[in-house]
Amino acid sequence: MALHLKLAGSTHAIEIVRRKPTLLLRVDGRLHEIATPDAPDALAIDAAAFSFVRALEAESDRETAFVRHGGRTYEVGFVDPRAEIAAHDATHDEIHAPMPGAVVSVHKQPGETVARGETIVTIESMKLQTALAAQRDGIVQDVLRAAGETFEKDEALVRLAPAAEG
Amino acid sequence: MLSTASADFRRNEAHNRALVAAFREKQDKARHARPQRDLDRLASQGKLRPRERIEKLIDPGTPFLELSSLAANMAYGGESPSASSIVGIGVVSGRETIVRADDPSVKGGAWYPLTTKKIVRALDIAIENRLPVVHLCDSAGGFLPLQSQLFPDKYVGGRIFRNQSILSKMGVKQLSLVFGHCTAGGAYIPALSDYNVIVRGTGAVFLGGPPLVKAATGEESTVEELGGADMHTSVSGVCDYPAASEEEAILIGREIVAQWERPRKWDIQREAPEAPAYEPQELYGIIPDDIKKQFDMREVIARIVDGSRFHEYQPNYGTTLVCGFANIWGYKVGILANNGVLFNDSSLKGGHFIELCNQNNTPLVFLQNITGYMIGRDYERRGITKDGAKMIMAQSCSRVPKFTVMCNGSFGAGNYGMCGRAFDARFLFAWPNHQIGVMGGDQAANTLVEVKANQMRRAGEPIDAATLERVRTETLAAYQEQTSAYYSTSELWDDGLIDPIDTRNALAVAISASLNAPLGEAGYGVFRF
Repeated sequence: MALHLKLAGSTHAIEIVRRKPTLLLRVDGRLHEIATPDAPDALAIDAAAFSFVRALEAESDRETAFVRHGGRTYEVGFVDPRAEIAAHDATHDEIHAPMPGAVVSVHKQPGETVARGETIVTIESMKLQTALAAQRDGIVQDVLRAAGETFEKDEALVRLAPAAEG
Repeated sequence: MLSTASADFRRNEAHNRALVAAFREKQDKARHARPQRDLDRLASQGKLRPRERIEKLIDPGTPFLELSSLAANMAYGGESPSASSIVGIGVVSGRETIVRADDPSVKGGAWYPLTTKKIVRALDIAIENRLPVVHLCDSAGGFLPLQSQLFPDKYVGGRIFRNQSILSKMGVKQLSLVFGHCTAGGAYIPALSDYNVIVRGTGAVFLGGPPLVKAATGEESTVEELGGADMHTSVSGVCDYPAASEEEAILIGREIVAQWERPRKWDIQREAPEAPAYEPQELYGIIPDDIKKQFDMREVIARIVDGSRFHEYQPNYGTTLVCGFANIWGYKVGILANNGVLFNDSSLKGGHFIELCNQNNTPLVFLQNITGYMIGRDYERRGITKDGAKMIMAQSCSRVPKFTVMCNGSFGAGNYGMCGRAFDARFLFAWPNHQIGVMGGDQAANTLVEVKANQMRRAGEPIDAATLERVRTETLAAYQEQTSAYYSTSELWDDGLIDPIDTRNALAVAISASLNAPLGEAGYGVFRF
């Protein structure tokens, strides 16, 4: 399965062709040889030197990587294949209960903005607490169950305001 | 979506580092803290401490994976550290072996009931994995005040000698090095070993020592006459080689092991080992600070397997059970890990994946964090019990070796499906945060309070809130103690607590050891469809 990386806004398919003796990748159909020199956070792509930096995005817990090459900095994002699969099923406007249970606490109220990965409600079922997080950035439209209320599996618990197209 | 910079991560990390520090401290105490009097006595007899013996026995620079270092930590008022017996896997003259040592620095090496349980388990491991055994003998015999718990039953004292006989029959070699006394039952350990060495002056083997002989027949005798090195190696033939010192006995022992045929391991799929791409230390920030909080087991897998590469099977089906292939120190394994309650679909997926691994000759690794199979009318109507039963059937009948790690909770029948203690995992390790029980403490307390209230109603009594509260607090207190990882390992429900970051290494040693035994017979019982 090809990995997908986002670089400067466009998505690229990356396939691992071989690992030894050097890493060989097929990026959008073209082969590239990757070497890791001894220097920290450095790598060589087709013998050209790159350095990369990890940084934290303020406001959210998300990690983003930056690659520097030829005096320019590029932001690189990893496209989570599981999120991609899930994306085929839903538009992420609603968060559904993965199992029947009860709401323990509500962390975000209607009208509040959320970033992808932020917990909106915590539920408990079968002795286990699960934090249900936003699948995308957005604004909470409705929280359909209050703390203490019970629900069935697959019931919608949270609705986000529809995302603007584009 | 894990961030190592998040507040949750940092809170978990502080919590788990404290847990592991407490574990290390307990372990260190069990290994090394002994009354000076006992250490002086050993020194005056010219004896090494048991861990020094092990150090000299195993090949220099090779790891020793100690098992159940905190056995009996909550029994006998703490008087039997590590259950007075050290057990582990080490390399002796190039062969993986079980090393089992009595601990003469505790009550003369006397066997407590849990000592016998630990030795029986060590020999079960030897049988299941065809690992040769080196016994380092120095024990006063059974701890008499507790003899009723260590002598008559099936899986205590006598089972040690039964297992020794079976090992010999299987062609799995045993060596005893007799450093101290082997009295009564203990005398059979060297006698039933295929080879043994005895140290002149301090080693002795007899059914009854001098005081017992005098009481029984009036005969006066010395230790040397009754069971010393020279008598046994030149007259009785009970022992094979005399040694002038403990160091010499160990050298002879290493030479004996060097004569043994090397086992032919079965041909597991292997790659060149590779460190995980994600830092194992980050496990501390992933394991939650509360047993009830859910976490993504994929984050754990990423810190255990080679290159953090995980080929996930059915990633979009039965998502509360994560299944997939990976390598650990190069060894191909199939991993099953809990990401929530087991539903019908996750149970079926688990059963199917177990069958795939059996078809592919791939060992199974179970990472447990399970609160049970889903309950409720809808699930019963869909046959959650028979789907769980299919998973248990596939798992129980597996021909490939199984390994279990208790990563957090292990409650209810989920323990069974995920290869709990009763299901013959070759090795079962637990993390210090682990809790185990037929149900959680809160649930048990609520159930018992409900039962008590019903009794009162039936008897026509008024509901007494104080009594109910007492039932609740007593149940919770008992649960807190008995569900803890320390209680579990004290009772030998596992093969030892491990620091989570050691999981990868412990599994690798265990997998490597397991390859000495051929795969089991293929086939299953009747699956209820």
